[in-house]
Amino acid sequence: MRRSDLGEFEELVLLAVAVFTPEAYSVVIAEELEQQTGKVVTTGAVHAALQRLENKGLVSSQMGEATPERGGRRKRIFKVTVAGSRILHEVRNVRNNLWSRIAPRTLPKIKTT
Amino acid sequence: MSTRARNPQPPRWLDKLVERFCAPHLLEQVMGDLHERYYRRAEREGDAKARRMYWREVLAYMRPTIFKRRSYQYTKPIFTDMFRNYFRIASRNVYRSKVYSLINVLGLALGIASAILIFTLVKYHLSFDTFHSKASRIYRVTTESHREEISYSGGVPQPLGKAFRNDYTFAERVARVFRSPDRLVSLPYSKDNLKFQEREGLAYAEPEFFDILDFPLIQGDKNTVLTEPNTAVLTERIAKKYFGSKDPVGQIIRIDNKWDFRITGVLLDLPVNTDRRQEIYLSYSNLKDESAWFASDDSWRSINGDMHCFILLKPNALPSGVDKALPELSKKYYNEHDAKIYRFKLQHLSDIHFNPDLGGYVAKKNLWSLSLIGLFLIITACVNFINLATAQALGRSKEIGVRKVLGSGRKQLFWQFMAETALITMLALVSAFALAQVAVPYVNQLFGIQLRINIFQDVYLLTFLPILLLVVILLSGSYPGLILAGFQPVLALKGKLSQKHVGGFSLRRALVVTQFAISQLLIIGTIVIANQMRYSSQADMGFRKDAIVMFPVPKKEKSTISTLNSEISRIAGVEKVTFCSHAPVSPDFVNVIVRFDSRTEYEDFDVSVKVGNDQYVSTFDLQVIAGRNLHPSDSVREFLLNETAVKKLGVRSTNDVIGKRMWIGLNDWEGVIVGVVKDFHNKSFHQTIDPLCITTSNDWYFNCAVKINPANLSPTVEAIEMIWKRTFPDHVYEYDFLDEQIARFYELDNMILRLIQAFAGISIIICCLGLYGLVSFMAVHKTKEVGVRKVLGASLQSILWLFGKEFTRLLILAFVIAAPLAWWVMSNWLENFTYRIEIRTGIFVLAISATFVLAMITVGYQSLKAALANPVDSLRNE
Repeated sequence: MRRSDLGEFEELVLLAVAVFTPEAYSVVIAEELEQQTGKVVTTGAVHAALQRLENKGLVSSQMGEATPERGGRRKRIFKVTVAGSRILHEVRNVRNNLWSRIAPRTLPKIKTT
Repeated sequence: MSTRARNPQPPRWLDKLVERFCAPHLLEQVMGDLHERYYRRAEREGDAKARRMYWREVLAYMRPTIFKRRSYQYTKPIFTDMFRNYFRIASRNVYRSKVYSLINVLGLALGIASAILIFTLVKYHLSFDTFHSKASRIYRVTTESHREEISYSGGVPQPLGKAFRNDYTFAERVARVFRSPDRLVSLPYSKDNLKFQEREGLAYAEPEFFDILDFPLIQGDKNTVLTEPNTAVLTERIAKKYFGSKDPVGQIIRIDNKWDFRITGVLLDLPVNTDRRQEIYLSYSNLKDESAWFASDDSWRSINGDMHCFILLKPNALPSGVDKALPELSKKYYNEHDAKIYRFKLQHLSDIHFNPDLGGYVAKKNLWSLSLIGLFLIITACVNFINLATAQALGRSKEIGVRKVLGSGRKQLFWQFMAETALITMLALVSAFALAQVAVPYVNQLFGIQLRINIFQDVYLLTFLPILLLVVILLSGSYPGLILAGFQPVLALKGKLSQKHVGGFSLRRALVVTQFAISQLLIIGTIVIANQMRYSSQADMGFRKDAIVMFPVPKKEKSTISTLNSEISRIAGVEKVTFCSHAPVSPDFVNVIVRFDSRTEYEDFDVSVKVGNDQYVSTFDLQVIAGRNLHPSDSVREFLLNETAVKKLGVRSTNDVIGKRMWIGLNDWEGVIVGVVKDFHNKSFHQTIDPLCITTSNDWYFNCAVKINPANLSPTVEAIEMIWKRTFPDHVYEYDFLDEQIARFYELDNMILRLIQAFAGISIIICCLGLYGLVSFMAVHKTKEVGVRKVLGASLQSILWLFGKEFTRLLILAFVIAAPLAWWVMSNWLENFTYRIEIRTGIFVLAISATFVLAMITVGYQSLKAALANPVDSLRNE
């Protein structure tokens, strides 16, 4: 599995799975990402991303418990696999590496709120 | 729970939608997610917002990964699974036994391709003149002449149409139309004085003609067209040919370099399926230019096959009523004697194409025979299939056994076999379609028609093909299917099934016999027709027909003819020249009434008149058996009679007629009989020799016949052409060899010959394919038997005979069936010819030996291979 197979949205979803473990499922992930990015994130999009990640072996899943707000339906709980963990680390290393090599004052200044 | 009841639910119908599209195994989590999200949103941002967002949420699930069902969760009836399985197994079987499949596909494809072609051809003929919107009420008046024999004509006396219109009220419209083939049309005002010889010619038509038949005008006024004299309409195609892109209306065309016509309308191009092929219509009033007498109201005694009268009956009028009224018409316009002779009948439009007596193109009987042949070919192909499949069944006994032990029902096995049949048939259909497409141009060329096979525009073909497919599948698949399904599993698994369990070996024999009987029927038919054709073209017709060139003489002035005569005679290769009305045998003829000697009554037969000068007899090598030839003089009328005429006149000896006077109903000619010629064929072999007389008259020399020395044919023909063109610069030169003209009499017969040849060939190929399959199968099954026999000292011949005797027996049986049938059918066909061959035993011998040789070649290779095989190989593992 090459790293390039991990899309930006997939990376975010994968990170979110890690954040919410052991109670990571599509609705909370979608809510969290919506809050973080400020854009609408549908459960459908998250669901699709999770399906892809699972196909790539980066997350594993099992059916969880039913809750009343789901109309008594069960949810699918996800957690990051070893492969997922490795890829997250690799991505972070690459990023950190690149960040550290940016010479000071090269990037145009932006105001941080 | 109570809080949820108070809170509004997400839209129900959206949920339903999700339930519909979402794969069942994903539905629980998807639905759960959707609802949880909805309530979370509703709590945070209110119902309205949540509802709005629900849309987007649902939409976000519209993706293939959600739709896609897990393979084992197909929600469809069980039989489609089996169906797929049937076809998978079928395609494996087809692939595994390539030779058998190929034989089957090839055989079926040939059969089906023939069926498609025959279907299209028959449908094409059945469609003739069916497009007229008032077709059901359109009739043509035809004439029966009751003399010694009854003769039929699609034509009527010219004044009949007028009389019918004035005297009776049956008809809404009556139209007379006179067609005149092969005419010269020139464009006097064109730049280079263009001229065209129109083969289909032209027609003089009353304006009502276009009210009755649907030949729509695209230019010009339907109400006034052809009402004025000297006006014409022509089809778009002819208009383009004559005038290019110029507007044809108002232009002038000239007929025969004499009469000018102004074009007042343009007709839509003729559809292919009409028998009225004329593309130029002239005002009917101009018919008098051609012959004032013919166009007058007095020409009741002239029946011209090209003079037609069409009637559109009133919606409430019955044709039977008209048929009852027509004898009155005869009574009114003829004297008592003639009223009995000339009887008029109505002929419905739909009958015109199919009534050969009245000039129809093809009898329906022939179309049905053709369809029958098509059916035969399909049957032979199916028989092949059945034979091969049942023979092969034995080899598949283990497979069937295992399947049965594992629980297959009879029905399933049957359907599995049907699937195999369907697959092969489908393959065959596709190849047949390709074959048919390839063959269509040849068929078109053969028949001079314009067939097209376009499956998607042809509703009939589109229904015919699936029906054909179904019939073939059922016909060829069901019997072997039943056999296979009926195997006893224990016997099958033990490998103890033998030929007799496959059942119906006698049925297979019967089928092979049927196949061979059909082929032999067709072969005998081919031989008989071919023989008759050879006889027709090679038999002595009583006159010379080879190396004679015929060409028209457009101007008949005495001086023109005599200069032409002397100029042509001077050409080196020319042996004889004569000017005449017709060749001794000709498709068109002049028959007139006759009065002999001092008798007061007309004879009750017509004589056929040939007009020719004194060279006529010697050019065509006719034999004068009594008296002398005609003198060249034009002032004294002299007649030559043929033997038949003498006999019909009731005169005892040929010498007794010489010197007697005779009157004929052609231009009131009266003269002396000076000689008698030996009978020659004045019509095709279909018809008997007519009583005939030959006389001279410059006005009737439409044609010139030149006997050429065959050694230098083409320079002579070229020299004649040069002289002709110089003499008649305003006309189009055309020439014809007499023997080719004669060959055209048998055009239809030749077509039948070529068709039946093709079908006999196809049927033989199919038979041999089947035979090959059968014998190779037999060879495999008899390997051991052959081995044992060889070890025990059997000779090569005796082993070959082992294979040969079976097929020889079947072949002879088939012949016994086919021969009488063929004899009967072909005798019927030969009835069409007055002068015909006899069906001799030689024909039958030829047919059976041809089939025998072909069958033996087919059987030979496989049996020889089996016979030559080393017995050690076949017996070792025992």
